[in-house]
Amino acid sequence: MTIQINLNQPPFSFLSTEQLDWLTSRLDLVFFPSGAVILDEGNVAPGIYIVYKGVVEETDSDGTVFSQYGKEDVFDVRAVLESACKHRYTAMEETLCYLLKAQDFIQLLEDSSDFSIYFKTDLGTQEQLVEQRETGVSEFILSRIDEDTIRTPVYVTGQTSLARVAVIMKEQKHDAILVRTAKKVGIVTGTDLLNATLLGDMEKQDKVADIANYDLIDVNYGDFLFSALLKMTQHGIERVVVRRDGDIIGMLELMDMLSLFSTHSHVIAMRIEQAKSMKELVTAAKRLETLINSLSSQGVKVVAIMELITTLNRRLMQRAFDLIFPERLRNSVCILVLGSEGRGEQILKTDQDNAIILENEHDREAVLPLLQRLHQAFLDFGYPPCPGGVMFISDSWIETREGWQGRVSRWLSSAEPEPMMNMAILMDAEPVCGNAELFAPVKASWQKESLRSSITSSWFARPALQFETPLTFLGKIREDHGTIDIKKGGIFPLVHGVRALAFEYGINESNTLHRLDVLQERRVLDEETAQGLKDALLLFLRIRLRQQLLSNSINPGMSQQLKLDSLRSVDRSMLRHALHRVKKFKQFLIHHYHLENF
Amino acid sequence: MLRLWQKLSGRIPPQGRWQHMADPYDGDEIVVLDCETSVFDKRKGELLSVAAVRVKGKEIMLSSAIDITVKSDAVTDPNAVRVHYLRREDREQGVAVSEAIEKLLDFIGNRPICGFYIEYDRAILNRYIKRLYNFQLPNKFIEVSEIYVRRKRRLVPELHLDLTFEGLAKDLNVPVIERHSAMGDVISTALMYIKLTEF
Repeated sequence: MTIQINLNQPPFSFLSTEQLDWLTSRLDLVFFPSGAVILDEGNVAPGIYIVYKGVVEETDSDGTVFSQYGKEDVFDVRAVLESACKHRYTAMEETLCYLLKAQDFIQLLEDSSDFSIYFKTDLGTQEQLVEQRETGVSEFILSRIDEDTIRTPVYVTGQTSLARVAVIMKEQKHDAILVRTAKKVGIVTGTDLLNATLLGDMEKQDKVADIANYDLIDVNYGDFLFSALLKMTQHGIERVVVRRDGDIIGMLELMDMLSLFSTHSHVIAMRIEQAKSMKELVTAAKRLETLINSLSSQGVKVVAIMELITTLNRRLMQRAFDLIFPERLRNSVCILVLGSEGRGEQILKTDQDNAIILENEHDREAVLPLLQRLHQAFLDFGYPPCPGGVMFISDSWIETREGWQGRVSRWLSSAEPEPMMNMAILMDAEPVCGNAELFAPVKASWQKESLRSSITSSWFARPALQFETPLTFLGKIREDHGTIDIKKGGIFPLVHGVRALAFEYGINESNTLHRLDVLQERRVLDEETAQGLKDALLLFLRIRLRQQLLSNSINPGMSQQLKLDSLRSVDRSMLRHALHRVKKFKQFLIHHYHLENF
Repeated sequence: MLRLWQKLSGRIPPQGRWQHMADPYDGDEIVVLDCETSVFDKRKGELLSVAAVRVKGKEIMLSSAIDITVKSDAVTDPNAVRVHYLRREDREQGVAVSEAIEKLLDFIGNRPICGFYIEYDRAILNRYIKRLYNFQLPNKFIEVSEIYVRRKRRLVPELHLDLTFEGLAKDLNVPVIERHSAMGDVISTALMYIKLTEF
């Protein structure tokens, strides 16, 4: 008997063909009239229902709608795994459901671990499973640092002569050796030896302790290989020390990693590092989008892509800055990236949002033409200009330290929407070029205890409620000609609400995920809420990225319209859950900031 | 007594192994069934396949349903092949008709039998049962279109009704699943029955 629903999608696609055939043979069909209560609070569920036709609504005892289920959606797994159903499920129209009896469902959970993990976990893990499943590629980038990837370190004592170290390196075929002295452990590389003897004035018989580098860059055993790559890129080095419980257990070499790497992220990073002209930088920048495309199609998680792209973008900007700014000016300015780039949440380039802090007003004349050139470089890299003019080439975004402090306090006392939005933009700033220390006193100007008054923070929070969540009162996704604006409907309210809380609690982080971590640590949000919002944001970003990559527009990063019909049923259902979380979070904000009458 | 029963019902009652089929039924299930035949003729049509499912309340117990293809080399009307999609090659994989009937009788027991134009299925099955076991189905029969007509005419007696399978399915708004496969028709019929009796 063929089944009238598509089981070739998660979670059922986690099952083998035999398991699917068995499942199909175990299904019954139940027909409910409109208004029938399929499951009620306290009921023992006979099994899981898979909707074939019709709509089922899930409500709690107050009548609040939790969710709606349509074709191929599954409910109520929790009721089967736990003892009883916690909500009421009502057929909103005549509804046909396949029923898989509880004992058969549990049998499948026992037979398939992926299937069971999918059901026993939260949205975040489900999402991961789905993401992994999508490509079927076990991507190297997602593997972890383990015995297979690290080299056993070779140690010498600090007293060893340079000549002896060179011999050991050759014998052991290691280009880097760890140096143990009485107090600490350092590292010495072949290049260090050459520099010390050929370029410096060290002798063959000198002690290695004197040339070793004791500032070890390390990663932890079990971390993603990816994070090791990020550290190497950030520090411009080719190996890191691997620690377990604080002890050094091995070395991880860039060359070893590169031989395994299937993407060219590091090649691009190297090109950025080695570029000697703006032209070479532009070439490297142009390859970023290809990189995003290939990472995304290989099923690399969106959070990992985000981190990598943020690191590469910032290095790109730093290199352009170094090429344009003369050394004497580099330390007396600080260039900030704002908005999504500041939060480290940009993947495809959107517009450039940036600002500059001058140490001395008298540098302004000299700096202005350089900023024009830097702006042009960013345009060449592919960052479209900011339509709102939030750019360091505009007078309103160039200030001295004191100037910025003054503006911040004027913004905060104004209680007007526009200054508040400027505040919000500046709040996400990250210093990327020049002297980062100039930024600290500016940042301190909005992290004052006295500013925590409920009026200012509630003014700050208001825009989070500006756009309605695209859900109907029945809890279905409300679409407009088959699309929703994911920025207005999901990303902005979530990001801004979290930003408002970060503002109120003087949280230093600018990344939304990190802000959520701190808010959870400080018990402003409970774990479930914080985790739920993180999962929701990553889901929005992932679905948006996929559709942006498929679009043929010139600036795919600017598109915020999600086409619902090109989402798979499982994504649609996760999107609906995520939008519900945003809606719930907005209710929390209304309550927290007393915005009931807004 | 036996004769009296026979005289009153006009049927030959089951004996021995199948005697229980004549017991009064006190459960809450019915069996919906559908036969596909070589030609559409009560006396000549040969059984090609039969599907049956138990229905209890709003639930169609698909997991225990039977769907049997009969091994038959009956010559089919080429037009009928299009109707039931059972080619000769498909039928070669089937079971002997006696085995099919035996399985079906075990499955039905003394439950009421329901279908769309069930008179036809009854005639076909009785022909085989009489030959194999010398009795006729003593079960209660339920005609879906009859319930439909009763429900409709109760409201508007003079109403003109489209009494085709598709007409009923459309008016009752139940999905037509794989029309003319025995199992698909059984499910649609079961849905019509549930809707007419439970909603």
